[in-house]
Amino acid sequence: MTMIDEGPLRALLAEAADGLAVPEDAVERIASIASGDGPKADIVRTIVPRGRWGRVALVAAAIVVVAGGVTLIGGTPGTSQGHRTVAGPSAVAPGVTGAVPSTTVPLGSHNRLGNGGSTGSSSTPAGAGAPFAANAPAQSNPTVITPSVSPAPLPTGIIGQPAKVVTTGTIDLALGSDPVGPAVTRLTTIANGAGGFVAKSDVQVGPSSGTVPSSGTLVLQVPQAAFASVLTQVQSIAKVTSMSSTSTDVTSQYVDLQARINALQVSRQQYLTILGQATSIGDILAVQSQLDTIQSQIEQLQGQLNLLDSQTTYSTLTVSLSQSGHRPPPPPTPQSGVGRAWHQSVSGFTSGVEWLIRIAGRTLFVLLVLAVLAFVGRWAWRAWRRRML
Amino acid sequence: MGGKGGQEDIETWLAEGYVTSFRTACLILGNRSDAEEAVQEAFLRAWRFRKSLAPGSDVRPWLYRVVVNTCNSKLRSEIPHRDRRTADSELDRLAAPGDGPTDVEQSGDIVRALQSLPVHLRVVVVLRYYADLTEREIATAIGRRPGTVKSRLHEARRLLAMHPALRTLDNGAESHDSEVAE
Repeated sequence: MTMIDEGPLRALLAEAADGLAVPEDAVERIASIASGDGPKADIVRTIVPRGRWGRVALVAAAIVVVAGGVTLIGGTPGTSQGHRTVAGPSAVAPGVTGAVPSTTVPLGSHNRLGNGGSTGSSSTPAGAGAPFAANAPAQSNPTVITPSVSPAPLPTGIIGQPAKVVTTGTIDLALGSDPVGPAVTRLTTIANGAGGFVAKSDVQVGPSSGTVPSSGTLVLQVPQAAFASVLTQVQSIAKVTSMSSTSTDVTSQYVDLQARINALQVSRQQYLTILGQATSIGDILAVQSQLDTIQSQIEQLQGQLNLLDSQTTYSTLTVSLSQSGHRPPPPPTPQSGVGRAWHQSVSGFTSGVEWLIRIAGRTLFVLLVLAVLAFVGRWAWRAWRRRML
Repeated sequence: MGGKGGQEDIETWLAEGYVTSFRTACLILGNRSDAEEAVQEAFLRAWRFRKSLAPGSDVRPWLYRVVVNTCNSKLRSEIPHRDRRTADSELDRLAAPGDGPTDVEQSGDIVRALQSLPVHLRVVVVLRYYADLTEREIATAIGRRPGTVKSRLHEARRLLAMHPALRTLDNGAESHDSEVAE
């Protein structure tokens, strides 16, 4: 293989280099700059990458770090610092309601909703937490919203009059081995005490032997403003197995009925005037027929209006009572030492796995952030070293 | 510039190493003004980070490493964006104005042949045959293994021999890989 000789190459390079004039004041200039140890801005320039992609990567890494920090500091959904989504009306005490289908409220705060929505409902199975079951003994979810003790007046609607809201609710109570009778009595007392009444009562009491469980259903009509307090008292009677509540804003329907009734009344008045001026039998009969039709319509609409009035004045709470009918299971026989240890071991293992799963998400995120930081740090360090040398 | 670590007199560094460093940068970059900037930047960086030099280490390859890296940085980030015609005119000026016609021609030839090499080969040729660094010192200067330096020198000499401007110097010399090794 042909290669150039080292001797001539060395001589040629030395000859070419010797012909290069050295800048005269360069040495003094460098020495003077170095005596001040260089401008500080150069240090910053060595840190910040010069390439476009390098700077983009640096900015992206900074964004990731900041976002991660904010997420860590601010907490994640599901923690005590987070928010909980609650179906609108169920979290709202009557009198405050504006019936929005769903809203998000900070934990521990009262829900102040507008009145723009029309209908909302929530269904709360047993153990899943009752949004407004503050004092329910059987609720396991501690994140409940305490209903307003003194309900505020209904807010004025967008159409210029107080909102009309129809509130209904159902609640199922498990009495266990307790009899149904005292519960019915207590429910009646609660309804009467709140200014309401028991609209319907259907109680089936089993034989004294207890083989057939007793049950019953009561429909309570309570004033709208007392609905929350009644609900709270009802929850305190027995274990709540399920609960639901529905609020419907009927303000527009109410106003519409009023307007139609007013219009029909004006028409009736005009027909009455015409009737007073009629001379022929035919005219009188024709006007009378129209008057009858209008009167019928007015009464029909007035009935609907009265129904709405009643529904918005009194809330309906349907309470279902049920007796479990079975005796509580006997306490387990004491286990032997080995059996108890085995169960404790299994329980401990399960708890450990649950703990691992619980912290896996956050740990993974922290590891991801640390990996990004390590990558950026390594890259910055290598860039620093590369620029330094 | 052959002092050991702990030598903290930049004037000594400059007195011993500036000329060689400047000419090395000129041969690598092919441009006097770029070389002047690069060497100034390299000396200032080396001076600023002189504490990072391990005690007892030789300053010379370390300083050459700074110079080479600065030159590489310029070649990578600044020079490619310039007008190519400027570089050509600078190449022509690399030959000394006071030399004889033959020397001028040969100096220009070696510089042009050098510029035709890839940068990684050009660097090792200049460091080895102009700056007179050993292969181990070159390895330190470019951050590669001595074996890599040896193979690059081999490749560079082969390419230079094939360059039309240097064929007259070849004299038909046939070398083998074993002869390259020191």
